[in-house]
Amino acid sequence: MLLHYAPGSPHSAAVRIVLGEKGLEPELHKLDLVGYEQHSPAYLAINPHGMVPVFEDDGRKVFESSLILEYLDDKWPDPPLAGTDPRQRYRARKWGKYVETHIAPHLAIARWAALHGKVPETAVAGLSNLLPARCELWLSARHGFGHEQLTASTQAIFAACKRLAADLADGEWLCGDSFTLGDIAVYPHAAQFGALGLPVPRAVDEWLARVAARPSVQAIRGDLFPLAVMGPEPGRWG
Amino acid sequence: MLDVYTWEPNANSGKPLFCLHEKAVPFTYHYIDMGAHEHHGAEFLAINPDGTIPAIVHDGFTMTESTPAMEYIDEAFDGPSLRPAEPYHRWRMRMLLRYMDNVVAPALAMIASNRLAAPRFIGQDADELRAMLERIPLPERRATWEKLMFQATAPADLAESERRVGDAIRRFDGILGRREWIAGDSFSLADIGVFATFYSLPTAREEQVNDAATPHLMRWLRTCHARPALQAALRMGKGFIAQRAAEIREKLGVAGAAAAA
Repeated sequence: MLLHYAPGSPHSAAVRIVLGEKGLEPELHKLDLVGYEQHSPAYLAINPHGMVPVFEDDGRKVFESSLILEYLDDKWPDPPLAGTDPRQRYRARKWGKYVETHIAPHLAIARWAALHGKVPETAVAGLSNLLPARCELWLSARHGFGHEQLTASTQAIFAACKRLAADLADGEWLCGDSFTLGDIAVYPHAAQFGALGLPVPRAVDEWLARVAARPSVQAIRGDLFPLAVMGPEPGRWG
Repeated sequence: MLDVYTWEPNANSGKPLFCLHEKAVPFTYHYIDMGAHEHHGAEFLAINPDGTIPAIVHDGFTMTESTPAMEYIDEAFDGPSLRPAEPYHRWRMRMLLRYMDNVVAPALAMIASNRLAAPRFIGQDADELRAMLERIPLPERRATWEKLMFQATAPADLAESERRVGDAIRRFDGILGRREWIAGDSFSLADIGVFATFYSLPTAREEQVNDAATPHLMRWLRTCHARPALQAALRMGKGFIAQRAAEIREKLGVAGAAAAA
């Protein structure tokens, strides 16, 4: 087992939290996102999308972080984290997908603006190594996002906060009465909202504190800082 | 009680229909006429405030994400299992469904809606169109409809969608050259997810999808079109889709086409 990951990547943090919950200790390959190591030819040979994390198991590569979480739970079901009944599992999968299409891409844009992200000259040439859609996204970041895009991204995060608060109205955890992959997929992203000056509803704040108290989260809390890097493409295309 | 509120057996709208037929689960089909914008009307918004189809309601539990809903259906009901048991194969099923959901299906939808839906708005009253837009809850969907209504989809975006579709056709032909089904050695939700969007390609994109260019994809499409459950789901269409499916079966030489008509 080998995990390619990076500090400052919420997607990497989610995978590390699950590994911690399950007591798994794969070999770790730490990438330096500040130095744009994820765009190096060596890493693009591992993942042509130039994104972390990637989990390798028995010589097979597993990527897409919320799907890595499910893979880990399918293969090492103890303790079970996918949810205890079909409804909980539906909600956990719904959140796993929502993070990718509606939270992470917009958080990345808001973060890029708040942290005054810049692509250093030394990293510009590497962008052409990326697949077309990925390269396009980074070029947009390099030119800076316009006011309209920033407003849309901030609104998307407010909308996400409202949905989180609505699902938390039923109990302590996002998908029902137990801690699941849904909580883990969302947490590392939502934990950055406050640091970027985005207001967070009280129910969400209290939930963040509950998740943060778990030993698996404490163990990787040094990785949770915001970093100016791009996320996935905003959903949905077109 | 299982209620499915959806449009035709096509793309996301069709996923629960295909899935429930494969599992042989009885359900009530509530037809939502997308052409008449019923999915943005008050009655449907009371079921799904996002105004997206499908919505599936099982004993009071509402699901509006079609891919997670298919996994729910597979878990909550008897019938043949539609997910591989082996964790890596199961991951592969989910990864390819994600690729369809996030990359391929939206690209095909952009191309199809610009060809089929956009021309219908030409000459319509701009204020009425604006009022229709106001009823669309999700900002990203509103933006897409706005472009359709006012013929404002960027040519570069359409070209990028074409590139994505071409990529996907080549990729799935390659996959199906290596294995029998999309995710592994058994029929799974990934086959349903790809079929729901690709079933019409032999006629809709016959220059790209044919026996010479994509033999493996064609082999798989013939096998899927011959499945009684998928045929039954396609026959549920109330508009042009049931007829189109019969034409595709005839073109593919798939038995049962006459019986289906």
